[in-house]
Amino acid sequence: MGNQYLDTGWFMIVLTLVMVTLILFNISRAHGGKDLYIRRISGLNAIDEAVGRATEMGRPVLMVPGLSASVNAKTMQAINIFAYVTRVAARFANPIMVCCADATVLTVCQEVIRDVYQQEGLADQYDVDSVRFISDRQFAFAGGVAGLILREKAAATFFMGEFYAESLILAETANSVGAIQVASSTELTQTPFFIAACDYVLIGDEYYAASAFLTRQPVLVGSLIGQDWCKLVMIALILCGATLNSIQQRGMTKIEHKDGKWVDLPKERAVLAKDTFFSHLLKADPEKNIKLDPPREKLPPDQLPTGGPAGGDK
Amino acid sequence: MNLFLQVDPKTFWNAPHGSTELYVKLFAAFIIGIGVAVGLTFIPAQLRKWVVRFVTFGAGLFYVLFWIFPRPISRTPTDAPRGAIEGVSFWIADSQPVIMTLTNVIAGFMIGLGIYSLLRVHFAKIAKQQRDWAYSVVLVTSMFLMVVLGYGDFLQRQNPANFGLADEKNWGLINYGKDLLFDGLLQNMDAGMFSIVAFYIMSAAYRAFRARSTEATILLVTALIVMLSLMGVVEFMWSGVIDRISPNNGLVQSLKLSAISGWLKGTIQTPAIRGIDFGVGIGLLAMGLRLWLSLEKTGGEA
Repeated sequence: MGNQYLDTGWFMIVLTLVMVTLILFNISRAHGGKDLYIRRISGLNAIDEAVGRATEMGRPVLMVPGLSASVNAKTMQAINIFAYVTRVAARFANPIMVCCADATVLTVCQEVIRDVYQQEGLADQYDVDSVRFISDRQFAFAGGVAGLILREKAAATFFMGEFYAESLILAETANSVGAIQVASSTELTQTPFFIAACDYVLIGDEYYAASAFLTRQPVLVGSLIGQDWCKLVMIALILCGATLNSIQQRGMTKIEHKDGKWVDLPKERAVLAKDTFFSHLLKADPEKNIKLDPPREKLPPDQLPTGGPAGGDK
Repeated sequence: MNLFLQVDPKTFWNAPHGSTELYVKLFAAFIIGIGVAVGLTFIPAQLRKWVVRFVTFGAGLFYVLFWIFPRPISRTPTDAPRGAIEGVSFWIADSQPVIMTLTNVIAGFMIGLGIYSLLRVHFAKIAKQQRDWAYSVVLVTSMFLMVVLGYGDFLQRQNPANFGLADEKNWGLINYGKDLLFDGLLQNMDAGMFSIVAFYIMSAAYRAFRARSTEATILLVTALIVMLSLMGVVEFMWSGVIDRISPNNGLVQSLKLSAISGWLKGTIQTPAIRGIDFGVGIGLLAMGLRLWLSLEKTGGEA
């Protein structure tokens, strides 16, 4: 049994596999033509309105895919949303600006934005400098983007992805030029700042629902429904855990789990949190469930994993 | 001077520092890297998609294995695997830093593109003398100075013979220049930008905390209670009033600002954050799964 199983045993792995199965199952359902419902998300409905307003004002749309230090799932989601925004902007022939804090993100953004213009048959409208690298230093980036917002008077701004202390600098600067703002941060600590300063905010997993909502691709819609099923599983687990723990802790016990086995207590006592079913389910018992090697000093020399002073040369 | 210090020169991936073997390996890796990059450009467009899918799946599979396959416990550098399972476990654990380094290598290639993008935009602005082109001159000049002085200082400090540089008395022009630009200007300007956040919080809070709707009013009242509970004088005076009314009545005591604020944070805020956290985590899992299995079509049709 490995190092990563010491804390929660097999439970977390099994739970994760269940979730993966639920997501894949729903993706296959959606592929099979099943009509799946997604509720409206006001922040995403506002995208067309924001870009339309920018077109009317003749001012650019500005997008920031966060401060991620590399291309990861969070950044990819931001880029997916920006691809949709760019598509709408391209149809209105509205200029866009994408500000990146990482060179790898810049490269992916450039590719995606160029693809969008080509798909729309407007490759000649694509300006390679519309996607630009600002700085990989947090506040230099904030200063650079704030300067761009003020100079170019962006009419619509989209802040999506990983944001930290610079979130409010960007949002307030955009507010000062009257930009309509749609934002979402994967960092929960920054969400309140966006809520205070922006017009529309995607909270929590609405951010990951965005591409499904915007494109209605079966894979994405199915995945979103799968996520909802996963949440139902989590809710069921929480409810079962709370109910079972509450019931169990009202009772008394004569036995307890100690050193990998159940032992009789000298005297009956109240059931504690550590005696409950869910406590045993979520906390692996290394003595019972996990077969560990004895400490090195207790192993006979021929059973030591050491292969010699050079290591590995047995 | 040794710029290529290797921590553990025992495996194929390492070589003794300063040795010819290391330089040969670095050169070979560079040539292979360039070769792969050039080779990829010659792949037909239809096949390129499959190459990307294959690489994405392979890379993802490694991390899935890294996460699922039992990892060694209390392993020492001289341990050898005692069977197939331990062999795979050790191999995965040993390969992970190398795979991580590959990511850094790709990022290293990309930083050049970032600098190119930056210079392209600002040189064009300077050449055409567009609006605010003077700022571009400042940016390019600062960048050039920072690169020259930063690397100059770095190279000097890497040389063991220059250990005296720890003392400011032994600094030269390059060291003072780097210190002025980095510690004297950049760090302070960073701090200046950060400090602006305090004022932005005030202006954003002023707009957000207006009782325009039921939700906004709830937000306003909640924020007010939490803020007042953090103000020592107010909290002290209000607690005094409560204690005077009924020092022993639990119901009245729970009207203390600290009690209400604690209840709001513990019973309302924390579960809400946990709920959002679950949603974000599951969303991230689904997104990662779609990317790993190449189910995600970036920039898909609207």
